[in-house]
Amino acid sequence: MAMNDWSIIGRSLRTRGASTVITAATVGVAVAMLLVLLSMRDAGERAFSRGSGNAHLVVSRDSSPLTTVLNVIFYADPPGRFIEWREYERLANSAPFAWTIPTQQGDSYKGLPVVGTTGEFFTEFRPHERDPWRLTPRRRGDAADGRFFERPFEVVVGSRAAESTGLRVGDVIYLTHGIPRSRQSADPNAMEPHVHTEFAFTVVGVLEPTGSIHDRALFTDLVGSWVLHAHDRRVLEQPGVKTTTEADLLEEDRKITGVLLRVATRPGMMDATASLQPVFNQLRADQTITVAQPVQQITTLFNIVSNVDRILIAMAGVVLVSSAISILLALYNSMDQRRRQVAILRVLGCSRSRVFGLVLTESAIIGLMGAAAGVGLAYVGGRIAAGALQASIGLVVEPRLPVELVMACAMAAVLLAAVAGAIPAAMAYRTEVWRQLRPAA
Amino acid sequence: MTNAEAPALEITGLKFRYAGADAGAQGRGAWTVEVPGLVVGRGERVLLSAASGRGKSTLLNLIAGLIDLGSPHEAEGTIRVAGRNIHALHGAERDAFRGRTIGMVFQTFHLLRGFSALENVMAAMMFSSIAAREHEGRARALLSRLGIDGALAASEPDELSVGQQQRVAVARALACDPALVLADEPTASLDPENARAAVELLKGVCAEKGAALVVVSHDPGAGAYFERRESL
Repeated sequence: MAMNDWSIIGRSLRTRGASTVITAATVGVAVAMLLVLLSMRDAGERAFSRGSGNAHLVVSRDSSPLTTVLNVIFYADPPGRFIEWREYERLANSAPFAWTIPTQQGDSYKGLPVVGTTGEFFTEFRPHERDPWRLTPRRRGDAADGRFFERPFEVVVGSRAAESTGLRVGDVIYLTHGIPRSRQSADPNAMEPHVHTEFAFTVVGVLEPTGSIHDRALFTDLVGSWVLHAHDRRVLEQPGVKTTTEADLLEEDRKITGVLLRVATRPGMMDATASLQPVFNQLRADQTITVAQPVQQITTLFNIVSNVDRILIAMAGVVLVSSAISILLALYNSMDQRRRQVAILRVLGCSRSRVFGLVLTESAIIGLMGAAAGVGLAYVGGRIAAGALQASIGLVVEPRLPVELVMACAMAAVLLAAVAGAIPAAMAYRTEVWRQLRPAA
Repeated sequence: MTNAEAPALEITGLKFRYAGADAGAQGRGAWTVEVPGLVVGRGERVLLSAASGRGKSTLLNLIAGLIDLGSPHEAEGTIRVAGRNIHALHGAERDAFRGRTIGMVFQTFHLLRGFSALENVMAAMMFSSIAAREHEGRARALLSRLGIDGALAASEPDELSVGQQQRVAVARALACDPALVLADEPTASLDPENARAAVELLKGVCAEKGAALVVVSHDPGAGAYFERRESL
């Protein structure tokens, strides 16, 4: 095969193999950092923006509005204090709400949160403003068509929860009272998480993916959750109690951890802004509860995160620039040996501009190799970061690497590498052939 | 374009002195190179002899257009290669002209490290108008003619003997069928027997290819191999 510019560039890269790999690796790490940060930020925004759906307000007895949103909507941790049922009823009747939906957390299945709620959770609340809940169609091996729960001890499973646990319609499961590794389980006075084998729950439906945090949760009727908790109370009071039913529930057993609310809009009006603020102000007057507007809290959260985010992206930028500098140094250090090669090529008829192009292309190729490695690394890194986020704060994010983002980062890496190569390329360009080819040289 | 009727090399009233630090021990008063006139016909073989430090290598670099005949240096006269004033050409045009018209053989060969003997010869054709599909065949034929074939052609310069490296350097210089081959001290590092063989090789191959050969040497013994000898 004839020699061409690519064979010269390829041989040069291969001759300095270790240096080429190390330099490309530094570019790869920088590109991967940039891609992971940018894709995780987008994925985080998507995950958060889809979670609160059409709820205008969220109520809990947590310490701050942000914690309320994180705990009630994003299942970060079960809210620490309960809201009594009669308090909920008073709240629900205190303003013209379109709907109010009570939720109770504190139980789990294989580490996944189980939310006790009412049927309105599926008929009124939507994880995303325009998308209602959908059940997956019946699959081969399913015991029945999927449906939402209609009575206690029935469970509807989120898509990712079903995927990770393998649950299908008709399966019978036993819930764990408490959530391992949660704030509750860290409380020395709290009851140890334990499985309630006395109460069998039947899976009656599996939800279609919503792209929100709800995909990794299980949902059951509130009464079933109450019975589970009431049973623990009764066992403490009367050791030997074998089972508990709805009839055994006391007023103190009927409690919830959060409320989703949507204010009523005037007929023909889609925008709830006007009616939301007075209701929000009214509820805030009650010092015993914490009221939060999810959209506002998510914006606050992103403002906090974006500051850190900007620092991280700036750091990734610095790493990218320093990797470009390492390309410059690698090529610069090799120039002493390469000047002779350049001089020989010039004798053979190679022009100065072609020599300049050869070195610049070589530099850009190192950038391209680094960018390719970075994309692969980012794909793996994104998965690891998503797994870590899910494990640590329970937030489900789906990192994606959009083609435009990948192309932009790769082009930035290649351009920076080419710019870094300009100095050694200029040195090659200015090589005085006769000096390099003197016998003494 | 080269003029097929013109001499391979024609030097008229050449005086050259390096600028600044490159002026060396000779100082600002003396010319580094001074050639009142020299004509080398097509296919002719000439030895230019002079003592060390008399500007032989500089002259070859001037002929090849690797040192500018002018600013920043002081110079007079003209150098024509195959009818073209090489110093009237600039940049890529001069490089391309050199690539296709002049072959150079250096005392230390200056082969490309990391490339095989075959690739070294093909590298000379990279910058010519010879079709890429012909490069390998031409390079193999040339190397084979000089006794470098098979595994030797695939060997890198460091794996070859001095004599073999010189053959590769000669093959590379002749790869583009140049009008003029310039050889700088080709016998300097060789014993008399190998020196004779090297010169005969250069002369023989240049004659086959119809290329004029200009050899510069400070070796008094080299004169025995050339019918035409000029002193600088």
